[in-house]
Amino acid sequence: MSGKLKLTIYWLIGLIIVIILPHVIGIVYTNVLVTFMMDAVFALSINLLLGFTGLLSFGHAMFFGIGAYAAALSLTHIQGFPLIGVIFISAISALLLACIVAPLLARVTGTAFAMLTLAFGQLLYVICLKFREITGGEDGIAGYDTPPIHLGFTNVDITDPTNFYYFAFVVLGLLAFFMWWLVKTPFGSVMISIRDNAQRVEYLGYRVKHSKALVLIISGTVTGIVGGVYALFHNLVSTDGVLTIFVSFYPLMGAYIGGIASFFGPIFGAGLLHVFDELTSRYTERVDLVNGLIFILVVMYAPYGAVGLWWSIKAWLFKSKLQKA
Amino acid sequence: MLLEVKDLNTYYGESHVLQGISLTVEKGELVCLLGRNGMGKSTTLKSIMGLVKPKSGLINFKGEQILGMPAHKTARVGIGYVPETREIFPNLTVTDNLLLGIKKGKYSKGVGKDWTLERIYEHFPILKTRGSNKGFQLSGGEQQMLTIARTLMGNPELLLIDEPTEGLAPVMVEEVRDVLIEINKAGVSILLVEHNIKVALAMAHRLYLMGKAHVGFEGTPEELAKKPEIKRQYLEV
Repeated sequence: MSGKLKLTIYWLIGLIIVIILPHVIGIVYTNVLVTFMMDAVFALSINLLLGFTGLLSFGHAMFFGIGAYAAALSLTHIQGFPLIGVIFISAISALLLACIVAPLLARVTGTAFAMLTLAFGQLLYVICLKFREITGGEDGIAGYDTPPIHLGFTNVDITDPTNFYYFAFVVLGLLAFFMWWLVKTPFGSVMISIRDNAQRVEYLGYRVKHSKALVLIISGTVTGIVGGVYALFHNLVSTDGVLTIFVSFYPLMGAYIGGIASFFGPIFGAGLLHVFDELTSRYTERVDLVNGLIFILVVMYAPYGAVGLWWSIKAWLFKSKLQKA
Repeated sequence: MLLEVKDLNTYYGESHVLQGISLTVEKGELVCLLGRNGMGKSTTLKSIMGLVKPKSGLINFKGEQILGMPAHKTARVGIGYVPETREIFPNLTVTDNLLLGIKKGKYSKGVGKDWTLERIYEHFPILKTRGSNKGFQLSGGEQQMLTIARTLMGNPELLLIDEPTEGLAPVMVEEVRDVLIEINKAGVSILLVEHNIKVALAMAHRLYLMGKAHVGFEGTPEELAKKPEIKRQYLEV
Protein backbone atom coordinates (compact mmCIF):
# COMPACT_ATOMS: atom_id res chain seq x y z
CA MET A 1 0.00 0.00 0.00
CA SER A 2 1.41 3.37 -0.95
CA GLY A 3 2.17 5.91 1.75
CA LYS A 4 -0.34 8.36 0.33
CA LEU A 5 -3.17 5.81 0.35
CA LYS A 6 -2.28 4.80 3.88
CA LEU A 7 -2.40 8.42 4.98
CA THR A 8 -5.78 8.94 3.28
CA ILE A 9 -7.15 5.88 5.07
CA TYR A 10 -5.87 7.18 8.42
CA TRP A 11 -7.47 10.54 7.77
CA LEU A 12 -10.79 8.90 6.81
CA ILE A 13 -10.75 6.74 9.94
CA GLY A 14 -9.99 9.87 12.00
CA LEU A 15 -12.86 11.73 10.36
CA ILE A 16 -15.30 8.88 10.99
CA ILE A 17 -14.26 8.82 14.67
CA VAL A 18 -14.75 12.58 14.90
CA ILE A 19 -18.24 12.25 13.35
CA ILE A 20 -19.51 9.38 15.49
CA LEU A 21 -17.78 10.38 18.74
CA PRO A 22 -20.54 12.67 20.12
CA HIS A 23 -23.13 9.92 19.57
CA VAL A 24 -21.00 7.50 21.59
CA ILE A 25 -19.79 9.62 24.50
CA GLY A 26 -22.94 11.60 25.28
CA ILE A 27 -23.66 15.31 25.73
CA VAL A 28 -21.47 15.95 28.79
CA TYR A 29 -18.30 14.62 27.22
CA THR A 30 -19.17 16.18 23.86
CA ASN A 31 -19.13 19.53 25.64
CA VAL A 32 -15.83 18.60 27.30
CA LEU A 33 -14.47 17.85 23.83
CA VAL A 34 -15.55 21.27 22.57
CA THR A 35 -13.80 22.93 25.51
CA PHE A 36 -10.73 20.82 24.81
CA MET A 37 -10.73 21.90 21.14
CA MET A 38 -10.97 25.56 22.14
CA ASP A 39 -8.15 25.19 24.66
CA ALA A 40 -6.03 23.27 22.16
CA VAL A 41 -6.32 25.94 19.45
CA PHE A 42 -5.78 28.70 22.02
CA ALA A 43 -2.62 26.86 23.17
CA LEU A 44 -1.50 26.43 19.55
CA SER A 45 -1.90 30.14 18.89
CA ILE A 46 0.10 30.97 22.03
CA ASN A 47 2.74 28.50 20.90
CA LEU A 48 3.14 30.34 17.58
CA LEU A 49 4.62 33.07 19.74
CA LEU A 50 6.24 30.99 22.47
CA GLY A 51 7.52 27.84 20.82
CA PHE A 52 8.15 29.17 17.35
CA THR A 53 9.13 32.81 17.87
CA GLY A 54 10.44 32.70 21.44
CA LEU A 55 8.01 35.27 22.85
CA LEU A 56 6.21 34.50 26.09
CA SER A 57 2.82 36.19 26.30
CA PHE A 58 1.18 36.48 29.70
CA GLY A 59 -1.72 38.47 28.37
CA HIS A 60 -3.19 36.51 25.49
CA ALA A 61 -6.55 36.57 27.24
CA MET A 62 -6.93 40.12 25.85
CA PHE A 63 -7.35 38.72 22.33
CA PHE A 64 -9.56 35.89 23.53
CA GLY A 65 -11.62 38.33 25.57
CA ILE A 66 -12.05 40.95 22.88
CA GLY A 67 -13.10 38.26 20.39
CA ALA A 68 -15.63 36.91 22.88
CA TYR A 69 -16.97 40.38 23.79
CA ALA A 70 -17.22 41.41 20.13
CA ALA A 71 -19.27 38.28 19.42
CA ALA A 72 -21.51 38.73 22.47
CA LEU A 73 -22.08 42.45 21.87
CA SER A 74 -22.96 41.99 18.20
CA LEU A 75 -25.35 39.17 18.99
CA THR A 76 -26.94 41.25 21.75
CA HIS A 77 -27.33 44.47 19.78
CA ILE A 78 -27.79 43.40 16.17
CA GLN A 79 -30.95 41.51 15.39
CA GLY A 80 -30.38 38.43 13.25
CA PHE A 81 -26.59 38.76 13.26
CA PRO A 82 -25.31 35.79 11.23
CA LEU A 83 -22.91 33.14 12.46
CA ILE A 84 -20.28 33.96 9.87
CA GLY A 85 -20.51 37.58 11.06
CA VAL A 86 -19.72 36.42 14.61
CA ILE A 87 -16.53 34.70 13.46
CA PHE A 88 -15.64 37.69 11.31
CA ILE A 89 -16.18 40.30 14.00
CA SER A 90 -14.26 38.24 16.58
CA ALA A 91 -11.35 38.02 14.16
CA ILE A 92 -11.44 41.70 13.22
CA SER A 93 -11.68 42.95 16.80
CA ALA A 94 -8.71 40.83 17.90
CA LEU A 95 -6.80 41.83 14.78
CA LEU A 96 -7.37 45.52 15.50
CA LEU A 97 -6.29 45.11 19.11
CA ALA A 98 -3.20 43.22 17.98
CA CYS A 99 -2.41 45.99 15.47
CA ILE A 100 -2.60 48.54 18.29
CA VAL A 101 -0.35 46.67 20.74
CA ALA A 102 2.01 45.04 18.21
CA PRO A 103 4.14 48.12 17.38
CA LEU A 104 5.05 48.42 21.05
CA LEU A 105 5.34 44.72 21.85
CA ALA A 106 7.45 43.94 18.78
CA ARG A 107 10.21 46.21 20.10
CA VAL A 108 10.80 44.15 23.23
CA THR A 109 11.66 40.57 24.06
CA GLY A 110 12.00 38.28 27.07
CA THR A 111 10.70 39.50 30.40
CA ALA A 112 9.75 42.91 29.02
CA PHE A 113 7.52 41.26 26.41
CA ALA A 114 5.90 39.02 29.02
CA MET A 115 5.30 41.93 31.40
CA LEU A 116 3.95 44.25 28.71
CA THR A 117 1.48 41.63 27.44
CA LEU A 118 0.44 41.06 31.05
CA ALA A 119 -0.05 44.81 31.50
CA PHE A 120 -2.14 45.16 28.34
CA GLY A 121 -4.18 42.11 29.31
CA GLN A 122 -4.87 43.51 32.76
CA LEU A 123 -5.67 46.92 31.30
CA LEU A 124 -8.35 45.43 29.10
CA TYR A 125 -9.64 43.42 32.05
CA VAL A 126 -10.04 46.57 34.15
CA ILE A 127 -11.58 48.52 31.28
CA CYS A 128 -14.17 45.81 30.71
CA LEU A 129 -14.82 45.58 34.44
CA LYS A 130 -15.41 49.34 34.74
CA PHE A 131 -17.46 49.85 31.58
CA ARG A 132 -20.32 47.99 33.12
CA GLU A 133 -22.98 49.59 30.83
CA ILE A 134 -21.38 48.02 27.80
CA THR A 135 -19.75 44.85 29.10
CA GLY A 136 -21.94 44.00 32.07
CA GLY A 137 -18.87 44.07 34.34
CA GLU A 138 -18.48 40.97 36.47
CA ASP A 139 -21.96 39.76 35.50
CA GLY A 140 -21.01 39.89 31.86
CA ILE A 141 -23.27 39.61 28.85
CA ALA A 142 -25.59 36.65 28.67
CA GLY A 143 -28.73 35.36 27.08
CA TYR A 144 -28.09 36.51 23.52
CA ASP A 145 -29.44 34.49 20.62
CA THR A 146 -27.14 31.94 19.05
CA PRO A 147 -27.57 32.12 15.28
CA PRO A 148 -28.04 28.93 13.29
CA ILE A 149 -25.86 27.80 10.40
CA HIS A 150 -27.59 28.69 7.14
CA LEU A 151 -27.00 25.88 4.68
CA GLY A 152 -29.37 27.22 2.00
CA PHE A 153 -31.80 24.34 2.07
CA THR A 154 -31.92 24.12 5.87
CA ASN A 155 -30.79 25.81 9.08
CA VAL A 156 -28.67 23.92 11.59
CA ASP A 157 -29.32 24.84 15.20
CA ILE A 158 -25.99 25.00 17.02
CA THR A 159 -27.55 25.24 20.45
CA ASP A 160 -27.74 21.50 20.06
CA PRO A 161 -24.45 20.23 21.65
CA THR A 162 -23.74 17.72 18.88
CA ASN A 163 -24.23 20.32 16.15
CA PHE A 164 -22.09 22.77 18.06
CA TYR A 165 -19.38 20.14 18.34
CA TYR A 166 -19.35 19.75 14.53
CA PHE A 167 -19.36 23.51 14.05
CA ALA A 168 -16.50 24.00 16.53
CA PHE A 169 -14.57 21.15 14.98
CA VAL A 170 -14.73 22.76 11.52
CA VAL A 171 -13.86 26.30 12.67
CA LEU A 172 -11.14 25.30 15.13
CA GLY A 173 -9.83 22.57 12.85
CA LEU A 174 -9.39 25.11 10.06
CA LEU A 175 -7.56 27.44 12.44
CA ALA A 176 -5.25 24.62 13.57
CA PHE A 177 -4.63 23.66 9.95
CA PHE A 178 -3.86 27.28 9.06
CA MET A 179 -1.27 27.51 11.85
CA TRP A 180 0.26 24.17 10.87
CA TRP A 181 0.55 25.41 7.28
CA LEU A 182 2.01 28.72 8.47
CA VAL A 183 4.89 27.11 10.35
CA LYS A 184 5.73 25.04 7.25
CA THR A 185 6.02 28.13 5.04
CA PRO A 186 9.29 30.10 4.68
CA PHE A 187 7.78 32.57 7.14
CA GLY A 188 7.72 29.68 9.64
CA SER A 189 11.48 29.35 9.17
CA VAL A 190 11.86 33.07 9.83
CA MET A 191 9.86 32.66 13.06
CA ILE A 192 12.11 29.83 14.26
CA SER A 193 15.19 31.81 13.29
CA ILE A 194 14.01 34.84 15.25
CA ARG A 195 13.58 32.57 18.26
CA ASP A 196 17.07 31.12 17.82
CA ASN A 197 18.97 34.26 16.88
CA ALA A 198 17.11 37.46 16.14
CA GLN A 199 20.20 39.51 15.36
CA ARG A 200 21.39 37.03 12.77
CA VAL A 201 17.98 37.26 11.07
CA GLU A 202 18.35 41.03 11.03
CA TYR A 203 21.62 40.99 9.13
CA LEU A 204 20.27 38.48 6.67
CA GLY A 205 18.09 41.40 5.65
CA TYR A 206 14.81 40.63 7.44
CA ARG A 207 12.93 43.13 9.53
CA VAL A 208 12.71 41.28 12.83
CA LYS A 209 10.34 43.71 14.53
CA HIS A 210 7.90 43.59 11.61
CA SER A 211 8.03 39.80 11.56
CA LYS A 212 7.43 39.61 15.30
CA ALA A 213 4.52 42.03 14.98
CA LEU A 214 3.04 39.89 12.21
CA VAL A 215 3.27 36.71 14.31
CA LEU A 216 1.60 38.53 17.19
CA ILE A 217 -1.19 39.77 14.92
CA ILE A 218 -1.79 36.30 13.46
CA SER A 219 -1.68 34.65 16.88
CA GLY A 220 -3.97 37.31 18.37
CA THR A 221 -6.48 37.03 15.54
CA VAL A 222 -6.67 33.24 15.85
CA THR A 223 -7.16 33.59 19.60
CA GLY A 224 -9.91 36.17 18.96
CA ILE A 225 -11.80 33.68 16.79
CA VAL A 226 -11.50 31.07 19.55
CA GLY A 227 -12.98 33.73 21.84
CA GLY A 228 -15.91 34.10 19.42
CA VAL A 229 -16.51 30.34 19.49
CA TYR A 230 -16.35 30.49 23.31
CA ALA A 231 -19.03 33.21 23.32
CA LEU A 232 -21.29 31.07 21.14
CA PHE A 233 -20.65 27.98 23.25
CA HIS A 234 -21.19 29.44 26.71
CA ASN A 235 -23.80 32.07 25.88
CA LEU A 236 -22.11 34.12 28.58
CA VAL A 237 -19.14 36.43 28.33
CA SER A 238 -17.82 37.96 31.56
CA THR A 239 -14.52 39.50 32.61
CA ASP A 240 -13.82 36.56 34.92
CA GLY A 241 -14.56 34.08 32.18
CA VAL A 242 -12.51 35.56 29.36
CA LEU A 243 -10.06 38.18 30.62
CA THR A 244 -8.45 37.09 33.88
CA ILE A 245 -4.79 36.12 34.10
CA PHE A 246 -5.82 32.50 34.44
CA VAL A 247 -7.39 32.60 30.98
CA SER A 248 -3.90 33.44 29.67
CA PHE A 249 -2.12 30.96 31.93
CA TYR A 250 -4.25 27.90 31.25
CA PRO A 251 -3.35 27.53 27.53
CA LEU A 252 0.24 28.45 28.40
CA MET A 253 0.30 25.55 30.83
CA GLY A 254 -1.22 23.34 28.15
CA ALA A 255 1.52 24.36 25.70
CA TYR A 256 4.27 23.70 28.27
CA ILE A 257 2.86 20.39 29.47
CA GLY A 258 2.40 19.15 25.91
CA GLY A 259 5.72 20.53 24.71
CA ILE A 260 6.45 23.86 23.10
CA ALA A 261 9.15 22.43 20.85
CA SER A 262 6.64 20.66 18.62
CA PHE A 263 3.62 21.97 16.74
CA PHE A 264 1.26 19.30 18.10
CA GLY A 265 2.58 19.44 21.68
CA PRO A 266 0.08 22.07 22.85
CA ILE A 267 -2.82 19.90 21.60
CA PHE A 268 -1.58 16.99 23.73
CA GLY A 269 -1.02 19.40 26.59
CA ALA A 270 -4.55 20.77 26.40
CA GLY A 271 -5.85 17.19 26.31
CA LEU A 272 -3.72 16.14 29.28
CA LEU A 273 -4.86 19.17 31.29
CA HIS A 274 -8.48 18.18 30.66
CA VAL A 275 -7.78 14.62 31.76
CA PHE A 276 -6.02 15.90 34.92
CA ASP A 277 -8.94 18.26 35.60
CA GLU A 278 -11.44 15.47 35.14
CA LEU A 279 -9.58 13.04 37.41
CA THR A 280 -8.59 15.57 40.07
CA SER A 281 -12.07 17.04 40.40
CA ARG A 282 -13.39 13.61 41.42
CA TYR A 283 -11.31 13.69 44.59
CA THR A 284 -10.70 17.34 45.46
CA GLU A 285 -11.76 20.87 44.68
CA ARG A 286 -8.12 21.99 44.55
CA VAL A 287 -7.83 21.33 40.83
CA ASP A 288 -5.66 24.40 40.21
CA LEU A 289 -3.28 23.37 42.97
CA VAL A 290 -2.77 19.97 41.35
CA ASN A 291 -2.37 21.57 37.92
CA GLY A 292 0.22 23.91 39.38
CA LEU A 293 2.16 21.01 40.90
CA ILE A 294 2.08 19.15 37.59
CA PHE A 295 3.30 22.29 35.86
CA ILE A 296 6.22 22.63 38.29
CA LEU A 297 7.15 18.98 37.75
CA VAL A 298 7.04 19.43 33.96
CA VAL A 299 9.22 22.54 34.06
CA MET A 300 11.73 20.82 36.37
CA TYR A 301 11.91 17.34 34.90
CA ALA A 302 10.44 17.46 31.40
CA PRO A 303 11.11 20.94 30.01
CA TYR A 304 10.12 19.78 26.52
CA GLY A 305 6.78 18.51 27.82
CA ALA A 306 5.00 15.28 26.97
CA VAL A 307 6.25 15.30 23.38
CA GLY A 308 9.83 15.82 24.57
CA LEU A 309 9.40 12.96 27.02
CA TRP A 310 8.13 10.77 24.18
CA TRP A 311 11.16 11.72 22.07
CA SER A 312 13.49 10.79 24.93
CA ILE A 313 11.75 7.42 25.42
CA LYS A 314 12.00 6.72 21.68
CA ALA A 315 15.68 7.63 21.66
CA TRP A 316 16.29 5.41 24.71
CA LEU A 317 14.43 2.47 23.11
CA PHE A 318 16.41 2.92 19.91
CA LYS A 319 19.66 3.03 21.86
CA SER A 320 18.93 -0.15 23.83
CA LYS A 321 17.86 -1.88 20.60
CA LEU A 322 21.20 -0.93 19.04
CA GLN A 323 23.11 -2.17 22.07
CA LYS A 324 21.33 -5.55 21.89
CA ALA A 325 22.00 -5.89 18.16
CA MET B 1 35.04 51.94 -5.85
CA LEU B 2 32.70 49.51 -4.13
CA LEU B 3 33.28 50.39 -0.48
CA GLU B 4 34.95 53.42 0.98
CA VAL B 5 35.38 53.84 4.73
CA LYS B 6 36.77 57.18 5.81
CA ASP B 7 37.76 58.46 9.28
CA LEU B 8 35.54 56.00 11.07
CA ASN B 9 35.27 56.56 14.82
CA THR B 10 33.44 54.05 16.97
CA TYR B 11 33.09 53.91 20.73
CA TYR B 12 32.09 51.21 23.19
CA GLY B 13 30.89 53.43 25.99
CA GLU B 14 33.89 55.58 26.83
CA SER B 15 36.46 53.48 24.95
CA HIS B 16 37.44 54.82 21.59
CA VAL B 17 37.80 51.50 19.74
CA LEU B 18 38.09 52.75 16.15
CA GLN B 19 40.15 55.91 15.79
CA GLY B 20 39.76 57.29 12.30
CA ILE B 21 39.84 54.04 10.34
CA SER B 22 39.96 54.44 6.55
CA LEU B 23 39.92 51.65 3.99
CA THR B 24 38.62 50.84 0.54
CA VAL B 25 37.47 47.76 -1.33
CA GLU B 26 37.37 47.80 -5.11
CA LYS B 27 34.94 45.72 -7.13
CA GLY B 28 36.19 42.13 -7.36
CA GLU B 29 38.86 42.60 -4.70
CA LEU B 30 39.66 40.37 -1.76
CA VAL B 31 40.94 42.60 0.99
CA CYS B 32 42.24 41.34 4.34
CA LEU B 33 42.19 43.13 7.66
CA LEU B 34 44.98 41.76 9.83
CA GLY B 35 46.08 42.52 13.32
CA ARG B 36 46.41 41.22 16.83
CA ASN B 37 43.41 40.60 19.06
CA GLY B 38 41.59 43.66 20.33
CA MET B 39 42.77 46.01 17.56
CA GLY B 40 39.24 46.70 16.31
CA LYS B 41 39.07 44.44 13.24
CA SER B 42 35.71 42.87 14.09
CA THR B 43 34.35 46.24 15.22
CA THR B 44 35.27 47.66 11.82
CA LEU B 45 33.11 45.02 10.12
CA LYS B 46 30.30 45.51 12.64
CA SER B 47 30.42 49.27 12.10
CA ILE B 48 30.15 48.82 8.33
CA MET B 49 27.29 46.36 8.75
CA GLY B 50 25.38 48.64 11.09
CA LEU B 51 25.58 46.36 14.12
CA VAL B 52 27.57 48.98 15.99
CA LYS B 53 26.82 52.65 15.49
CA PRO B 54 29.92 54.72 14.69
CA LYS B 55 30.07 58.22 16.15
CA SER B 56 31.54 59.83 13.06
CA GLY B 57 33.05 59.09 9.68
CA LEU B 58 31.87 58.08 6.25
CA ILE B 59 30.89 54.70 4.84
CA ASN B 60 30.11 54.78 1.14
CA PHE B 61 28.85 51.68 -0.60
CA LYS B 62 28.44 52.02 -4.38
CA GLY B 63 28.38 55.77 -3.84
CA GLU B 64 25.60 55.58 -1.26
CA GLN B 65 26.17 56.74 2.30
CA ILE B 66 25.31 53.82 4.60
CA LEU B 67 26.74 55.03 7.91
CA GLY B 68 24.27 54.39 10.72
CA MET B 69 21.97 52.33 8.52
CA PRO B 70 20.30 49.46 10.43
CA ALA B 71 21.72 46.01 9.68
CA HIS B 72 18.71 44.75 7.71
CA LYS B 73 18.96 47.73 5.35
CA THR B 74 22.71 47.29 4.95
CA ALA B 75 22.03 43.68 3.98
CA ARG B 76 19.49 44.88 1.44
CA VAL B 77 21.84 47.29 -0.30
CA GLY B 78 24.11 44.33 -1.03
CA ILE B 79 26.46 43.70 1.88
CA GLY B 80 26.55 40.24 3.41
CA TYR B 81 28.00 39.60 6.85
CA VAL B 82 29.47 36.32 8.07
CA PRO B 83 30.11 36.65 11.81
CA GLU B 84 32.93 34.97 13.68
CA THR B 85 30.41 33.11 15.84
CA ARG B 86 28.84 31.53 12.70
CA GLU B 87 25.35 31.68 14.15
CA ILE B 88 23.58 29.17 11.99
CA PHE B 89 20.01 28.38 12.95
CA PRO B 90 20.43 25.09 14.84
CA ASN B 91 16.82 23.95 14.58
CA LEU B 92 16.45 24.43 10.83
CA THR B 93 17.75 22.02 8.22
CA VAL B 94 20.75 22.97 6.11
CA THR B 95 18.44 23.60 3.13
CA ASP B 96 16.09 25.76 5.21
CA ASN B 97 19.08 27.70 6.54
CA LEU B 98 20.12 28.35 2.95
CA LEU B 99 16.63 29.27 1.76
CA LEU B 100 16.38 31.79 4.55
CA GLY B 101 19.17 33.71 2.83
CA ILE B 102 17.07 34.41 -0.26
CA LYS B 103 15.51 37.81 -0.69
CA LYS B 104 13.48 37.68 -3.85
CA GLY B 105 13.50 40.77 -5.96
CA LYS B 106 14.70 43.01 -3.17
CA TYR B 107 18.37 42.49 -3.65
CA SER B 108 20.90 43.56 -6.16
CA LYS B 109 21.30 40.95 -8.85
CA GLY B 110 24.89 40.58 -7.76
CA VAL B 111 27.76 40.11 -10.09
CA GLY B 112 27.24 37.54 -12.82
CA LYS B 113 24.32 35.25 -12.23
CA ASP B 114 22.38 35.07 -8.97
CA TRP B 115 23.24 32.49 -6.37
CA THR B 116 20.83 29.59 -6.41
CA LEU B 117 20.75 26.38 -4.36
CA GLU B 118 22.27 24.51 -7.33
CA ARG B 119 25.10 27.00 -7.67
CA ILE B 120 25.72 26.92 -3.93
CA TYR B 121 25.93 23.12 -4.04
CA GLU B 122 28.51 23.33 -6.84
CA HIS B 123 30.76 25.40 -4.60
CA PHE B 124 29.81 23.68 -1.32
CA PRO B 125 29.17 19.99 -2.19
CA ILE B 126 29.24 19.06 1.50
CA LEU B 127 26.08 21.11 2.07
CA LYS B 128 24.22 19.10 -0.55
CA THR B 129 24.96 15.82 1.20
CA ARG B 130 24.00 17.35 4.54
CA GLY B 131 20.88 19.09 3.15
CA SER B 132 18.34 17.43 5.42
CA ASN B 133 20.49 17.57 8.56
CA LYS B 134 19.65 20.13 11.21
CA GLY B 135 22.11 22.93 11.82
CA PHE B 136 23.21 21.60 15.21
CA GLN B 137 24.28 18.32 13.60
CA LEU B 138 27.04 19.97 11.56
CA SER B 139 30.73 20.13 12.40
CA GLY B 140 32.42 23.49 12.95
CA GLY B 141 33.78 23.58 9.40
CA GLU B 142 30.44 22.64 7.90
CA GLN B 143 28.75 25.32 9.98
CA GLN B 144 31.23 27.84 8.64
CA MET B 145 30.53 26.73 5.07
CA LEU B 146 26.80 26.99 5.73
CA THR B 147 27.11 30.50 7.14
CA ILE B 148 29.07 31.68 4.11
CA ALA B 149 26.72 29.90 1.69
CA ARG B 150 23.62 31.28 3.38
CA THR B 151 24.97 34.81 3.15
CA LEU B 152 25.72 34.26 -0.54
CA MET B 153 22.08 33.28 -1.15
CA GLY B 154 21.22 36.94 -0.62
CA ASN B 155 23.41 37.81 -3.63
CA PRO B 156 25.68 40.27 -1.86
CA GLU B 157 28.16 42.27 -3.88
CA LEU B 158 30.42 42.57 -0.88
CA LEU B 159 30.99 39.94 1.78
CA LEU B 160 32.27 40.94 5.21
CA ILE B 161 33.76 37.81 6.76
CA ASP B 162 35.01 37.69 10.32
CA GLU B 163 37.72 35.11 11.09
CA PRO B 164 36.26 32.22 9.09
CA THR B 165 39.07 29.80 9.91
CA GLU B 166 39.00 30.38 13.67
CA GLY B 167 38.98 27.09 15.55
CA LEU B 168 38.91 24.89 12.44
CA ALA B 169 41.06 21.83 11.77
CA PRO B 170 43.92 22.52 9.28
CA VAL B 171 42.19 20.54 6.55
CA MET B 172 39.01 22.58 6.96
CA VAL B 173 41.05 25.80 6.99
CA GLU B 174 42.29 24.94 3.52
CA GLU B 175 38.78 24.12 2.32
CA VAL B 176 37.38 27.41 3.61
CA ARG B 177 40.30 29.29 2.05
CA ASP B 178 39.71 27.63 -1.33
CA VAL B 179 36.00 28.34 -1.16
CA LEU B 180 36.64 32.02 -0.43
CA ILE B 181 39.04 32.27 -3.37
CA GLU B 182 36.43 30.59 -5.61
CA ILE B 183 33.66 32.91 -4.45
CA ASN B 184 35.89 35.90 -5.06
CA LYS B 185 36.72 34.63 -8.54
CA ALA B 186 32.97 34.25 -9.14
CA GLY B 187 32.78 38.03 -8.73
CA VAL B 188 31.95 38.66 -5.08
CA SER B 189 34.19 41.24 -3.40
CA ILE B 190 35.37 40.26 0.06
CA LEU B 191 36.55 42.18 3.09
CA LEU B 192 38.04 39.55 5.36
CA VAL B 193 39.19 39.70 8.94
CA GLU B 194 41.71 36.93 9.45
CA HIS B 195 44.06 35.98 12.25
CA ASN B 196 45.83 33.29 10.24
CA ILE B 197 48.57 35.25 8.41
CA LYS B 198 49.40 32.41 6.04
CA VAL B 199 45.79 32.10 4.91
CA ALA B 200 45.46 35.85 4.54
CA LEU B 201 48.65 36.24 2.54
CA ALA B 202 47.68 33.34 0.29
CA MET B 203 44.49 34.91 -0.92
CA ALA B 204 44.45 38.67 -0.35
CA HIS B 205 44.86 41.18 -3.17
CA ARG B 206 45.50 43.90 -0.61
CA LEU B 207 46.08 44.01 3.13
CA TYR B 208 45.37 46.41 5.95
CA LEU B 209 47.32 45.91 9.14
CA MET B 210 45.57 47.27 12.19
CA GLY B 211 47.39 48.57 15.22
CA LYS B 212 45.56 49.77 18.29
CA ALA B 213 42.30 51.17 16.83
CA HIS B 214 43.95 52.48 13.65
CA VAL B 215 45.30 51.27 10.29
CA GLY B 216 49.08 50.98 10.38
CA PHE B 217 49.88 49.57 6.98
CA GLU B 218 48.16 49.30 3.64
CA GLY B 219 49.53 47.40 0.67
CA THR B 220 49.79 44.15 -1.22
CA PRO B 221 51.15 40.91 0.29
CA GLU B 222 54.30 41.44 -1.80
CA GLU B 223 54.82 44.91 -0.37
CA LEU B 224 54.40 43.55 3.12
CA ALA B 225 56.95 40.82 2.44
CA LYS B 226 59.49 43.56 1.73
CA LYS B 227 58.86 45.20 5.10
CA PRO B 228 59.53 42.63 7.82
CA GLU B 229 59.72 45.36 10.48
CA ILE B 230 56.08 46.29 9.79
CA LYS B 231 55.08 42.67 10.00
CA ARG B 232 56.91 42.38 13.30
CA GLN B 233 55.38 45.56 14.66
CA TYR B 234 51.76 44.76 13.86
CA LEU B 235 51.48 40.99 13.72
CA GLU B 236 54.03 39.29 15.90
CA VAL B 237 53.35 38.83 19.55
